[in-house]
Amino acid sequence: MSTLVSPERVRGGQGRPLLRPWLPRKVAPYVFVLPFVAIFVAFSVYPMLFTLRLSFTDWRGSGAATWVGWDNYAYLLGNDMFWGSLANSAVLWLMIVPVQVVLGLLVAVLLNNAKIRMRSFYRIAFLVPFVTPLVAVAQIWVVVFDQEFGAVNGLLDLVGLPDVGWLTTSAWAKPTLALLFLWKTTGFIVIILLSGLQSIDASVYEAASIDGASRTRQLWSITVPLVRRTLMFSVVLQTLAVFQMFAEPFVVTDGGPYNSTTTAGLHLYEHITRGDLGTGAANSFLLVVVVMGLSLLFVRFLRTED
Amino acid sequence: MTTTHAPTPSGTRSARTRVAATRPPRPSPRGLPAAVGSQAFLLLLALAFLAPVAWALVSAFKPATQIISDPLGLDLTALTLENYRRMFADVPIGQGFLNTAVVLVTKGTITLFCAPLAAYAFAKYRFPGRDLLFGTVLITLMLPTIVLIIPLLLEMKALGWVNTYQALVLPGAVDAFAIFWMRQVIADVPDELLDAARVDGCGEFGIFTRIVLPVIRPALAGLAVLTVMNIYNDFVWPVVAASSERMATLQVVLSTLAQNITGNRVGADYATVTGELLAAASIALVPLLVVFIALQRHFINGILAGSVKG
Repeated sequence: MSTLVSPERVRGGQGRPLLRPWLPRKVAPYVFVLPFVAIFVAFSVYPMLFTLRLSFTDWRGSGAATWVGWDNYAYLLGNDMFWGSLANSAVLWLMIVPVQVVLGLLVAVLLNNAKIRMRSFYRIAFLVPFVTPLVAVAQIWVVVFDQEFGAVNGLLDLVGLPDVGWLTTSAWAKPTLALLFLWKTTGFIVIILLSGLQSIDASVYEAASIDGASRTRQLWSITVPLVRRTLMFSVVLQTLAVFQMFAEPFVVTDGGPYNSTTTAGLHLYEHITRGDLGTGAANSFLLVVVVMGLSLLFVRFLRTED
Repeated sequence: MTTTHAPTPSGTRSARTRVAATRPPRPSPRGLPAAVGSQAFLLLLALAFLAPVAWALVSAFKPATQIISDPLGLDLTALTLENYRRMFADVPIGQGFLNTAVVLVTKGTITLFCAPLAAYAFAKYRFPGRDLLFGTVLITLMLPTIVLIIPLLLEMKALGWVNTYQALVLPGAVDAFAIFWMRQVIADVPDELLDAARVDGCGEFGIFTRIVLPVIRPALAGLAVLTVMNIYNDFVWPVVAASSERMATLQVVLSTLAQNITGNRVGADYATVTGELLAAASIALVPLLVVFIALQRHFINGILAGSVKG
């Protein structure tokens, strides 16, 4: 936090500044946040408070709303579908985040090595899925992973393996969705991790290799501890993204087959499409509690040695 | 700006060690195979990342029936523009591009001006209400955006804004992540720099435009690319708030077309829709890909400059 020096001290003995500022220092921050606050209050805070109120009513989109207290929350906490959607998100998290962190760190470490050729090509290649519109990507996924006509099963045919119902069997739908998410976002995580790696002073590695530490040893004892905060940032960012994941299953699988890809984010949308707005609102605040809890857990876990 | 407080063990850094900066020295005997292995690993992974997009770009030029019957084959003599021709005839993609462009320019300008300005106030001033306001920003970061859609839609109806540009532009124009990121970046700008400008008689707003903005330019470029990308790719809110044919953005056009693939469009078979869809997807991703490749240095450097400290 920056403590500001009072204007008197800055001006010192030189008297008044040449130009009289038209914006007094005490008022300036309020003017600066004003455009943001106007938009933020009108289109984020107000809907958020509206949703909070909604979560204690049985409103279905029209007519009068009845106050039902904590009923919506109680209903959800005793509902298998709600827990099922959280479990689906948790399984997807397990399929995505650990793989992404390991793969992301590995690629970032390699790209940070000046001996590797074509580094800018790789950076672009890994970010291409990230910048591609999700609607387009999802459609490509649907076509490529189609059981009868898809390119992936075409490849399996070539090597003599049987076709797989990638998006049509509950066993494979989750991994296929996880793969889509990994493919789409890993490039961004690589760049974030690369930013952490580049702030490590080279002399640390130099000292380590003089001491005879192997590269693997250096990765574990130097790189990982020093980019811990960047790793933490990535994990929290992706935890938020995985538990809120909505658009991917919405476009690719619509939650099926047999709800195997109904993520927490998609499940709360289902309340909304059924017109059960109160329950949907309660569901989203429960989701906030889950996500906040997980984030704090990771922050704590990765901060232990600070 | 992303200085770490890494323990500097012994001695000073010479110019020569700076060259070795990005590459930790490796033990020589295993050096060669390891380098080849790394290179091969990266190359295979990169090809896997590019393959689906490349496949879509190429397949869009194949006859629709061949995309289905022979997804991996490529018959150069049979290449055709038929998918594109049909797609242009069936969906208002030109109008989609136009609407996306309007939203991109207006919403992008608002974000790129308001977010750093507010972030500057959060990072460099103390004022009553600051922490409460910033706390609220962090909470909205954690709230699934889907849940705000119903109240927002009711708000749009009350304002008479359904199917208007306002509805596409204003909600989410200054998103929480932009504020969060820019605050992080501006906090790293040394206070001495700002105070020096103040002594020279620079006004508070002048400090922002003449000192802060130029100093954070790399991160700002990163934010610009990210913002363009998010606006261009957004589809959930546009589908809900402005789905009329006149207002449909590119992504709305695309997702409407995608719904046809389930086969509920009269007189359209799976192959035809798939062909049109791949053509539409290609044409939607090419502009962004071009922008990204042209600006990727700024984007990547922006994130490298402005991300969290190691």
